[in-house]
Amino acid sequence: MKSKQRILIAVASFLVATAIALFFYIDPNVYPFFPKCPFLVITGFKCPGCGSQRAIHQLLHFNISGAFSHNPLVVIYGPYILLGLYIEYWGGKNKFPKMQSLFFGKIAALVILIMIMGFWIARNIF
Amino acid sequence: MTHFFYIDSEGKQKGPFTLEELRSEPIKKDTLVWTQGMAEWKRANDVVEIKPLFEFKGPSTSPETNIPQQENYQFNPQAKTGVDSVLMPKTWMVESILVTILPFILCGNIFSLLGIVAIVSASKVESLFRQGLFTEATEASLNAGRWTKITFWVAIGAIILGIISIVLFVVFFGSLAGISSMLSI
Repeated sequence: MKSKQRILIAVASFLVATAIALFFYIDPNVYPFFPKCPFLVITGFKCPGCGSQRAIHQLLHFNISGAFSHNPLVVIYGPYILLGLYIEYWGGKNKFPKMQSLFFGKIAALVILIMIMGFWIARNIF
Repeated sequence: MTHFFYIDSEGKQKGPFTLEELRSEPIKKDTLVWTQGMAEWKRANDVVEIKPLFEFKGPSTSPETNIPQQENYQFNPQAKTGVDSVLMPKTWMVESILVTILPFILCGNIFSLLGIVAIVSASKVESLFRQGLFTEATEASLNAGRWTKITFWVAIGAIILGIISIVLFVVFFGSLAGISSMLSI
């Protein structure tokens, strides 16, 4: 069980590192072969994740305002995802037990979903 | 000596019992059981130590030996008092939220909807547990875990599909370029 977990972590960190390197060196704006959003292709409407690859590219180059203009949710949720990983897997749960119920409680989940849905509607209207 | 807790048919928590004492308790294969070191409640048939009890369940051994052995029993260090003295099943709250947001960031909004099922189940675990409904809380936890894993693998599948499509795209246009250069010569 332990060695299986270790392999899983190794594979996951390798994939994440590869993805970060890809998004750092290749600008999705320039190269056409980055995957297009299927929702945008089919419906013509942007989904909440559209622009996220360009945003990640900008974020990795520390261009926060550029990233924000491509997809603000990536800028907001990037640190949030890291926080979640810290709480659940890197010992944050024991150090700050309150933090989990605050940021990963029922209300937080609702707020996040409403934000995503609201952003989804708003970006297609404005 | 390991001690086991189980949840009876009325949803009440019973224990601690040694493995020997557990033999004379009305435990079925799907009774939820927990012991120290286990992350969550499990069905009795899934617990390695208890599984043999179902195979050799002979006449119940003398119930007089059911002396509570509280004195050297160590509770789970994270546990609090009262209802909390038993481990709360894993809530899956963090995982289910992450597994919903991550595919969304990769533009997989359809898969994110699966994650909502997991979040709803996950958010029930704690409140059910606080009400003392251990069976329901554990069921919600198992359900949340199941949907989190489904959402996770679906997202992985989508990423792999994306990578395959990139490769196909590159190969396709690469070969087109090759053909056209051959024709022009």
